[in-house]
Amino acid sequence: MRVVEGIEREEDRQIVTTRLISAPRELVFRAWTDPRHLERWFGPYGFTTTTRVFEFRPGGVWEFEMHGPDGTVFPNLIEWVEIVPPELLRYRQQGGRDDDQNAFETTVTFADRDGATELTLRTIFRTKAQRDYVAENYGAVEGAIETLARLTAYVGEMEGTGA
Amino acid sequence: MARATTTSDVFNAIGEPQRRRILTLLRAGELAATEIAEELDLAVSSTSKHLRVLREVGLVRVRDEGRQRYYSLDATGLRQVHEWTGGFERFWAESLDRLEAYVGELQRKEEDDACG
Repeated sequence: MRVVEGIEREEDRQIVTTRLISAPRELVFRAWTDPRHLERWFGPYGFTTTTRVFEFRPGGVWEFEMHGPDGTVFPNLIEWVEIVPPELLRYRQQGGRDDDQNAFETTVTFADRDGATELTLRTIFRTKAQRDYVAENYGAVEGAIETLARLTAYVGEMEGTGA
Repeated sequence: MARATTTSDVFNAIGEPQRRRILTLLRAGELAATEIAEELDLAVSSTSKHLRVLREVGLVRVRDEGRQRYYSLDATGLRQVHEWTGGFERFWAESLDRLEAYVGELQRKEEDDACG
């Protein structure tokens, strides 16, 4: 296991998300294991995903691009660290190959709840500052003003054409 | 130029290139209206109009000192944009909505296949 950096308490550096899904965990787990499935749901509404590389094994990567509604491209790289079907996935994620310094690690657990699945995502960041930054800017990696400018470029175009 | 309909909406407010230039300039810190006009080579009157729009949507705040008005970035308006762009929480809330719907679809499909 990768040694987590930093001396801040883990609870100050993490984000935990849970969701109960009314389907067996084998099926929910399967939706994470193949790019054909992942591309159908990964990301917010209006985003699309294009897979470049997909190797579903510990040490393998899922390299993909996310396309925002305004056309902004977000490179992404996930490295699978641990795979325990149908219970657990652990992966390291960063924004493309050269974004190593911003990497963070997520553990996804699939718990059986009477035939339904309780999904828990626990993401641990290196520092509280990194957590707070990602919490606010995930999906908008640029500084706030650049983001404003990019996201609204199309609004400007609409205005320009008198639409 | 600023139109009446653009003043209430943060996205429309930043759809205007000169206003984006003003916001970019203010990232470095507070500036007087006259300094902004000079820096961007804009007329003082048109700079004032842009600053008013930005202030109305909560993207800049103003401070009066002597005869000068000083402007700085205001996070209130930026928060709306962050909410729109996502942030981690929204990313996963929406992804998991989609996952739930997709898994339901898979499940129905497999039940149909099993019956057929």
